[in-house]
Amino acid sequence: MSRIAAGDRAALRSLYDATCAKLFGVCFRILSNRDESEDVLQEVYLTIWRRADRFEAARASAMAWMATIARNRAIDRLRARGPLAYAEPVEAVDAADSAPLASAVLEQAQDEAALRRCLGELDARTAAVIRTAFFEGVTYEALAKRLDAPLGTVKSWIRRGLLRLKGCLES
Amino acid sequence: MSGEPELPEPEALAAEHALGLLSERERAAAEARMAAEPGFAADVEAWRARLAPLTGEVTPIAPPASLWGRIERGLPANDDGRLTRAVRFWRGASFAGFALAAASLVAAVVVAGRPPVVVVPPAAPAGALLNASLKGETGPPLFVVAYDPDRKALIITSLASPGTDPAHVHELWLIPADKKPRSLGIIAPGTSRRLTMAGPLAPMVSEGASLAVSVEPPGGSTQEGPSGPVAAVGQLSKI
Repeated sequence: MSRIAAGDRAALRSLYDATCAKLFGVCFRILSNRDESEDVLQEVYLTIWRRADRFEAARASAMAWMATIARNRAIDRLRARGPLAYAEPVEAVDAADSAPLASAVLEQAQDEAALRRCLGELDARTAAVIRTAFFEGVTYEALAKRLDAPLGTVKSWIRRGLLRLKGCLES
Repeated sequence: MSGEPELPEPEALAAEHALGLLSERERAAAEARMAAEPGFAADVEAWRARLAPLTGEVTPIAPPASLWGRIERGLPANDDGRLTRAVRFWRGASFAGFALAAASLVAAVVVAGRPPVVVVPPAAPAGALLNASLKGETGPPLFVVAYDPDRKALIITSLASPGTDPAHVHELWLIPADKKPRSLGIIAPGTSRRLTMAGPLAPMVSEGASLAVSVEPPGGSTQEGPSGPVAAVGQLSKI
């Protein structure tokens, strides 16, 4: 990352080769559109190029940092489509919960396993809502519409879930 | 279920921002709050880090081979982050420049309508002058602001060196008690501007309100709050 901050294009290329499929997957998961995902991925690497000097290895893994950039950029793009363009029916929430995780088990570090375990300790509905928010970039308003539940109720589910999640991750 | 505890504020808001649940308006407010409150920013970062491992569940998809070429062509020709370079320039703003700008600011306040012989306003009940120094995380002030509540006149002086970053502009934001950023317009590097706070804006410019400057594409942010990095922040206080 420090080589990239110093302007080394070859270092950016190596990083791109190692991470582009993952980050493209993140963009596509949120946007469900290849063209838009390509545009966003381009912005993501431009952002990494410009901000590599702000990356703090002590505070986060490089992958987590880049994935956060990709996710935030994709959500920006999603929001640009319109406030409720992504408020789809309820089934979408259920589908997100049961995603198979086999590949993740093999390749990823402890913190990933810990997060999955802690999400598993939440009730299924809360875990599904948190996953949906994370992967689809939906707002409270859109979530409430999808679930056909009052906004305050959805907010309560999530805030309780987040408190338990934090407790579990710290234990 | 109803008695179960919830994540308390303001961490709940930080987590919701990290998760992406906030509306456009709330997001902009949260971004501004991150710029103004390091503790809140740390909460958001901590939640981003907690949640980031979820991306491990995403199936990798290879982008088209042509994409790298597009990315490489889009990199700034100059092998240095232009934004960070600009900020470094500002942080290096010399004390001489600061003193000069501060002097011109005092002059501007005088010109703004006080009788020239009276530099300190006579005990005016309506409002003492407010001022703010806008700084980055470290270094000297990058902007100084003075506000005269009687005349609703806000004067901002940029201490940034002109011409260091022609690809971007500096946009001034007012962040009043409700934490929603209001754009006050663009301020060219090295210049002073006098802005009149009309209508509902005037009462928002009060002691304790924050001012921030973000680095934006030409023309300024196209969203409700800053779209680019916040380079300097300061709070209004009585002189």
